[in-house]
Amino acid sequence: MNQYVDVDALWKVLVAGLAGGVGLVALFAVGLVGLSMRTSEHAASRTGAAGLAVALVCFTLVVAGAALGLYVMLKK
Amino acid sequence: MDASTLLLGVVVVTALAFDFTNGFHDTANAMATSIATRALRPRIAVALSAVLNFVGAFLSLKVAATIASGIVESGAITLTVVFAGLVGGLAWNLLTWYFGIPSSSSHALIGGVVGATLIAAGTGAVKVDGLMSKVIVPAFLSPVFAALVAIAGTFLVYRITQRVPASTRTRGFRLGQIGSASLVSLAHGTNDAQKTMGVITLALIANHTISPGAGTPFWVIVACALCISLGTYIGGWRVIRTLGKGLTEIESPQGFAAEGSSAAVILAATHFGFPLSTTHVCSGSIMGAGVGKRLAEVRWGVAGRMVTAWLCTIPAAALVGAGAWKGADAIGGVGGVAVVFGAAVLFAGGLYLAARRIPVTHANVNEEWTGSLAPDKEQVA
Repeated sequence: MNQYVDVDALWKVLVAGLAGGVGLVALFAVGLVGLSMRTSEHAASRTGAAGLAVALVCFTLVVAGAALGLYVMLKK
Repeated sequence: MDASTLLLGVVVVTALAFDFTNGFHDTANAMATSIATRALRPRIAVALSAVLNFVGAFLSLKVAATIASGIVESGAITLTVVFAGLVGGLAWNLLTWYFGIPSSSSHALIGGVVGATLIAAGTGAVKVDGLMSKVIVPAFLSPVFAALVAIAGTFLVYRITQRVPASTRTRGFRLGQIGSASLVSLAHGTNDAQKTMGVITLALIANHTISPGAGTPFWVIVACALCISLGTYIGGWRVIRTLGKGLTEIESPQGFAAEGSSAAVILAATHFGFPLSTTHVCSGSIMGAGVGKRLAEVRWGVAGRMVTAWLCTIPAAALVGAGAWKGADAIGGVGGVAVVFGAAVLFAGGLYLAARRIPVTHANVNEEWTGSLAPDKEQVA
């Protein structure tokens, strides 16, 4: 079986795919939760500010992750 | 103009035509979900994807030098074999487009070349190990991978955003979808335009137009980038409809999770050198996004048809490739190639006319799925 499957590359793809495809997607969702905290009734309160901060951090991480993905693909 | 130059010209034109169908067929991979969830208007979506495919084609100039390398003996590849292989891939791409079935363009090309090689040089010239490890096994694994990632992503996304107001959620994920779909388009241009560049470079080397060590000429890069992005812009609406509406009903959080999964798996696979087909990954992701949302319906009949088509891709394209080689060889010389080329043009024209009878366009691509590809005109208000 091993002559047909590059097991090493296989599990790396699975791990990286999960990190990017599930991790980053979930982070984006957390960012949206942060944003919604700001737009709901707590608009001007401390919760709102914290929500905005969470959202900013999350979205920045997602964009950075996507950029990293592109970079490693092109470097190949 | 001598005979070999003429032959080279026909091969280059066929390769560019294949490149065009490649873009045309695969617009759906990147954009079907964004169109289905109305994150982007259909025309805008294909235009964006076209531009990104064009840019992607220039991003990485390290051409995957040979088509089907490691799959057939390189000594067996002549201009006629390349031509016959391209015709096989082209025919399969057009046929699956007509039926609105997403299928892998790279598999079609590989199938065509394998078929042509088999009949031109015999079974010894096809490397079974390479075919298994580079094509067959990844074809089974990639949709499963992508589906797993998309199921997990979709589940988490709905879980996390449970309390987020629906309007914020829909708007937010639509924006996210534009980003992830763009990433898939860019990766597609980078990976797939390269294949045709490789084919044309190979043909030029075989004809001694350029030396074996030479890189891809700039005009080849520009021509390939133009053809793939033009094909993308024309848009295979039939395939888009199947992927975006037929397979499952998609909401924007699912669309985002699906495209995120596709982008991550494609980028990771390219980096670690695991050969995946963009089409298989994207279709798997969309199915996964359907499974990952509770009570969402995946139309397994449509999925089954799609998987059947995947299984047929290599044998069918191989058959056409073999036939094309045999035909060209029996008639002989440039004349034979010209006759086969003419037959391919007729076939393409016939399918184009047939497709005009039940057209799927940017205007009706999002109509309710009523069991078949044809949008039900009665239901349009």
